[in-house]
Amino acid sequence: MSGVQVSIEALNECQIQEVTLDGQEIYVQPLSMSDSLSKLAHKIDFHRDECETKGKPTSEGDKEEEEEPPAKNAVFQPSLWPWDNMRTKLKMALTETSVLLDVLKIVKEKHYMVLDSVSIDQPEAKPGFFAVAKKRALNSAVSILSNGAERLRKSQEQAAKRTTPNFHYELLKLRSKWRLKKVGTTILGDLSFKSAGSRFWQSGTFEVTKNDLMPSDFKEGAPAHTVRSPLQVHIPSELESVAYIQVSIRHTQEGCEDLASADLQLPNSLPGSIPSDTPWQRRLETAQNVIFCKEVFVQLAREAVQVKSPLPHLVIGNQVFSHLFPGMQLCIALCHSIDKSRQSSIRPGPKPDHNQVLEHSLHQLVRELHFKNSYHPMPHPVSALLGVSKKRRNAGPQAFSRTELLDMTHSESMLEQIIRQARHFVVRTRTLDILDKLSEEITDLQIASHWCNLSSALESMVKVNITFNGYETFKALFALHICVDKIRVVMKDGRVINLSYEPQELNDFILTQVAHHHICIVQALAKLMGWQLLTSNSHIGVGEMEPVGNVQSIMLASPLGNRVIAVRSGPFSGVHVHVQKTPDVDTIRELHESKHVSLAEKWEMLGGPFHKVHLDKLEGRNFVNKMELLMACLSSERTDTF
Amino acid sequence: MSQNTVAQRGNQGSSTQTKEAQLKVYQKRLRDDIKTMTDNFLEIIRLMKIEEESHVSRPSKCEQDQFELEVRAANIVRAGESLMKLVSEVKQFVILNDFRSVNESIMAQMHMYRHVQTECDTKLFALRDDMAADLFEMEEEYYSSVYK
Repeated sequence: MSGVQVSIEALNECQIQEVTLDGQEIYVQPLSMSDSLSKLAHKIDFHRDECETKGKPTSEGDKEEEEEPPAKNAVFQPSLWPWDNMRTKLKMALTETSVLLDVLKIVKEKHYMVLDSVSIDQPEAKPGFFAVAKKRALNSAVSILSNGAERLRKSQEQAAKRTTPNFHYELLKLRSKWRLKKVGTTILGDLSFKSAGSRFWQSGTFEVTKNDLMPSDFKEGAPAHTVRSPLQVHIPSELESVAYIQVSIRHTQEGCEDLASADLQLPNSLPGSIPSDTPWQRRLETAQNVIFCKEVFVQLAREAVQVKSPLPHLVIGNQVFSHLFPGMQLCIALCHSIDKSRQSSIRPGPKPDHNQVLEHSLHQLVRELHFKNSYHPMPHPVSALLGVSKKRRNAGPQAFSRTELLDMTHSESMLEQIIRQARHFVVRTRTLDILDKLSEEITDLQIASHWCNLSSALESMVKVNITFNGYETFKALFALHICVDKIRVVMKDGRVINLSYEPQELNDFILTQVAHHHICIVQALAKLMGWQLLTSNSHIGVGEMEPVGNVQSIMLASPLGNRVIAVRSGPFSGVHVHVQKTPDVDTIRELHESKHVSLAEKWEMLGGPFHKVHLDKLEGRNFVNKMELLMACLSSERTDTF
Repeated sequence: MSQNTVAQRGNQGSSTQTKEAQLKVYQKRLRDDIKTMTDNFLEIIRLMKIEEESHVSRPSKCEQDQFELEVRAANIVRAGESLMKLVSEVKQFVILNDFRSVNESIMAQMHMYRHVQTECDTKLFALRDDMAADLFEMEEEYYSSVYK
């Protein structure tokens, strides 16, 4: 413990000013920068005259300052020196001169420093000055704050005063009807039918932006439609303007005659471009309609290429041609008003009439397609594939045959369905024309057709009554079931006759029915009038041949048996009536005059030749009325009238 | 099917995460803006205190204080406008992501359209029946008349 004490001393950081005799070192305390500056500044005594000093405020002052002290230090002797006082004064003068030089340079060249008065002994603070300055500063800050607040308040008031809805209200309305999402800073919407089950490739993306409205846009009392909406939608250029699908059925020979047509377009939209100030709802609906039309056409065009048919479907540009019947074709065209040249080439003639039924059918077909894509029959097992029908799932367990499986896989494309509907439309139109034409041509009797109100796009029915005016009790009745490409006739007695789509067959059939009805009604009339039916033949083999069908005939005898009426009715030759009188007056007279023949009374009842009756010269409204009058007249005639 | 379901779930999860992140960003912005307003206001109040000791001279100090006050006032205004912008963005976010109200509006529209459809069907059926009856009479008259 009694070791040698070692004194450790820190290195001198400060300059030693003096070493006292007892060995104590007195240090020079380092000055802070401001202290040193203050000290140096205080050393300057501007009031004293230092003219005797040699220092000059020249630019070489620094050099002198640096050069001279070593010279003086060299001669410095701390001992009593006779010029010590002088030396000290000179040194002080030099220092002051140097400081003066520095100050002057600082004042003159304001590059590095700016003079600022520094005083240790500050004068007495003036709180009033500070308060005024602070108040002024606070005022400026308050004005900035109040300006900002005023701006916010004005914008709020402006938004409240507006009669038109603001951006967010419009956006809410838009969101409730359309799909929107935010990508980054932009709001994007979707026009496509993908959420409804469509698989069309075209994306209907549109952008929603805020329409910056100037206050001048809002005028008092301005109509609502003239004020611009605060919300603006940007639709891709390919979806601008109006598009529609035109379906027409044409005669290939004539090329321009349209039997039917359908336009797929908005009810209120005008063809042509949509002006930019249209409300966004209508613009979006129009653009969506363009997508819809494009999807319809692309689907039809794809099926036209894929579906095989005896006569291949043609896809030329924006038109699809399909063969319906010989001489008739279905033309489906996409009309988009951007392409003016194509549109004009599609419609060379006047605009065909709209057919709402076909338009609705096209709508329904596409919607059904969408529905099938998005909705699957429920419930279905977890392990089963999606989109498989229940029938197909049960095909394995129930051991379906190959034929059943093939039938199940067959699905009808949209083009085939619309072709079937168009065929039915053509057959129906032809039937209607034939019925109207015949009812106009045949004025003697009435061909009344009653169309059934329960019909589908592929089947309809019409009942046909053939009657004579005033004799409606006797009627010929048959029903025509108009299918896709044939007409099925159901007769009154249950017979079924199948006719093809050719209108001539129906024409011939109705004419045959008319001819048959003539015979039938004469027979019924005979029963009423007490006449006796002698013969009735529906296929007589004598006389002129009819181009189509057979001639029918009937022979009737009067109640007394002395008159015979023969009626011959053919589909094209018409009705001919002949009358035979018994006895024949001319023959009996000849026999009496000859006196060579013994004439028994019974031979007087021999029938003579038939005489043709000119029906057009008879009284009566129609054929039955004339026959009735004729029968009545002949019934009253007695044998001994001659 | 399972892959699709997994992908959908993944998409849903990622979209939910994105929304959560977005909501957090909005909260952070709200706090930052309010903090900026409070801090700047406190600083303004603090600057109002007259300090006795200063190394800088009075005019310089006054200028400096005035400038600082203006900057801080402008900061408060900027934070206020940023809050207004935040309100607008939150409105947009709510409008675009409020699927419950969207579903409600879709359901309401669906019910409305179904109602309209039922009404139209009823009217069309009635119209069809009336027209069928009238058409029968008119066909009867037309085909019985001599003017065809």
